[in-house]
Amino acid sequence: MAMVVDYKHDSSFPYWTSIRRRFDPDSPFFSSGNLERELLAKQVALDLTEDERNQLEKMIDNDARGVFCPIVGCGARLTSLEDFEDHYIARHTASCSVCSRVYPTSRLLSIHVSEAHDSFFQAKVARGYAMYECLVEGCDLKFKNYKGRQQHLVDKHKFPTSFEFFNKAHPSKKKRLKNQQKRRMHKKDEEASSKMEVENETIDGLVSAVSKLSTSDSSPSNISFGRRNARGLTFVPRSIHAPREKK
Amino acid sequence: MADDSPASHRRDPIKSSVGNVAAQRRRQKAVTVGKERRESLFRAKRLCRVGATGDGDVSVEENDMITDEEGFLLDAQTSSAVGELKSAVASQGKGAMQKRVNALRELRRLLSKSEFPPVEAALKAGAIPLLVQCLSFGSPDEQLLEAAWCLTNIAAGKPEETKALLPALPLLIAHLGEKSSLPVAEQCAWALGNVAGEGEELRNVLLSQGALPPLARMMLPNKGSTVRTAAWALSNLIKGPDPKAATELIKVDGVLDAILRHLRKADEELATEVAWVVVYLSALSNFATGVLVKSDVLQLLVERLATSNSLQLLIPVLRSLGNLVAGDSHTTSTVLVPGHEITDGVIKVLVKCLKSDHRVLKKEASWVLSNIAAGSIEHKQLIYSSEAVPLLLRLLSTAPFDIRREVAYVLGNLCVAPTAGEGKPSLIEEHLVSLVQRGCLSGFIDLVRSADIEAARLGLQFTELVLRGMPNGDGPKLVEQEDGIDAMERYQFHENEDLRNMANGLVDKYFGEDYGVDE
Repeated sequence: MAMVVDYKHDSSFPYWTSIRRRFDPDSPFFSSGNLERELLAKQVALDLTEDERNQLEKMIDNDARGVFCPIVGCGARLTSLEDFEDHYIARHTASCSVCSRVYPTSRLLSIHVSEAHDSFFQAKVARGYAMYECLVEGCDLKFKNYKGRQQHLVDKHKFPTSFEFFNKAHPSKKKRLKNQQKRRMHKKDEEASSKMEVENETIDGLVSAVSKLSTSDSSPSNISFGRRNARGLTFVPRSIHAPREKK
Repeated sequence: MADDSPASHRRDPIKSSVGNVAAQRRRQKAVTVGKERRESLFRAKRLCRVGATGDGDVSVEENDMITDEEGFLLDAQTSSAVGELKSAVASQGKGAMQKRVNALRELRRLLSKSEFPPVEAALKAGAIPLLVQCLSFGSPDEQLLEAAWCLTNIAAGKPEETKALLPALPLLIAHLGEKSSLPVAEQCAWALGNVAGEGEELRNVLLSQGALPPLARMMLPNKGSTVRTAAWALSNLIKGPDPKAATELIKVDGVLDAILRHLRKADEELATEVAWVVVYLSALSNFATGVLVKSDVLQLLVERLATSNSLQLLIPVLRSLGNLVAGDSHTTSTVLVPGHEITDGVIKVLVKCLKSDHRVLKKEASWVLSNIAAGSIEHKQLIYSSEAVPLLLRLLSTAPFDIRREVAYVLGNLCVAPTAGEGKPSLIEEHLVSLVQRGCLSGFIDLVRSADIEAARLGLQFTELVLRGMPNGDGPKLVEQEDGIDAMERYQFHENEDLRNMANGLVDKYFGEDYGVDE
């Protein structure tokens, strides 16, 4: 019988070890059996109805305590563990329609969408506005860049240093293949410094126009982001000017 | 509630009778009494409604939901009964004894009528000092019996009511002596059992007053309701959390022999109470566990598990077995050796429990199996090739959560070799591959998704085994197929840091940038 012996010394993961588990007599592990004991001892004398029996069984099953949702910031109280999956799907699977990343709250999803897919957001960032919100609800602090917000999360809110809000997503195989194709197409345009995706081509031009609108300073700022080869305003398509005139 | 359709217009049924109204009121009261009733049902105390000797003079009310008026009346009757008792106790001369017995009997009837006896009224009227007086040495048996019965039911309810028995304890303990008549001793044991069932504080009082030795001796005869009541009272007395009482009990002369005798021969009712004594002996006292493991008790437990179908008996017997396996490595290393007949017997009865309809049996049997599976390679092979595995695989996908968690422990333990000092335990590839091929991975990924920390941890640990140990690097693919990546990614915003790190670590290691690129 073959045994796999692994020589990699990765000590940070708590590997499965097979050990005996012993419980004290008043451990919650035994409580359903204890309750059953008392019920059985008394039910002959007390002539419990079918309904009552079922109710009590249910109480024994659920431990009548319920469970709290463990997603950060949620705290919802669920009547049983079985309810958790439904709750999770209903409340914590907000997915981005652009890149399919999933977030546990609609607030985080909307922050992601702004930061990753919204050129207006990037424009403001470029102009020095503090746009990166703290992810912790109620904190309300804003930062000028991703790294600054990141540091705040680690320092102030004890997030793990390995945490990345905009992380490497691991989408399904289908999506991965699609992304790989896209990547190959745009490899030439890739800016090494930024990880931000802005996929729509025309938005690029819009942003330049918007940045022009929001300040009195008419000198073109050096905007460069995404994978487009943005060489300043000279490449703004004519069509962009049209909306302005309509105003 | 606004419903305008004439069809649903409510009218009081013309044929309403007194019975209907009363029934309705009872049902309403039942809802409010619900909580109180539940608490009383779950207490480790027992009301005495019918005499120990099968006394037929009490008509037990079938309808326990007494109305407010009836309750008020009962309280008043109780107060006056206590008053009667007071004058009876004070009186002397001819007929005084009979007067006392009559007064006690009346009070006892009132305290035995319903599920919620008028204890508060009795205490307020000053019943305890009078009952204590009635327990004095030399009193006639009938008087002792009735007084002890009253005290039994006073002690069966709320904590403060049970505590009120403190002045009576030394006398109740004294009447357990071998010179007392059996019915009297039994009734006193019952009262003391209720007191012990209240909590640690009162247990310690009883132990320091020497309640244990006489109760232990009452368990020695072969049969009788007294033996059963004494066993039940003892189980309440030794349940700890201090293991001292359990250790003391097993040392009493004749107790071990009596336990074995009863487990072997007694009727199911007595065997049940004795099994609960073994539960507490084996859960609390290492000394008692050691003594028990060296005796025949394991064989007797297996026999009871094999032959009985009474849930009441099976629960403590199974748990005793579980405690003996969990509490002493000697059990699996020396007694339950693979190849021995008894070991096959144990696996067989555990399989029987897995097949049962009862949640407690399935859960605790899985726990016992997980501990046996935590033994040597031979133990793991034994379980792996037994009837248990197909049952466990099915339970992993269909059973309620608490059972699934225990089943996970068994299956995981089958896949890792015994812990040998430092470092990562090695995998048992044959078992891992087979179990994964038979579909257990989805059950574990489900646990990863659970809100229960322990279960999620198990799920992630098993996932790691699969990622690491499946041959040909198949692990990541298999995990992905079961939506494992998605399940692990949920942990990015989970409040538990350990689980976050575990999940993130696995995802980073096995599903990094390069994952799937070659395909």
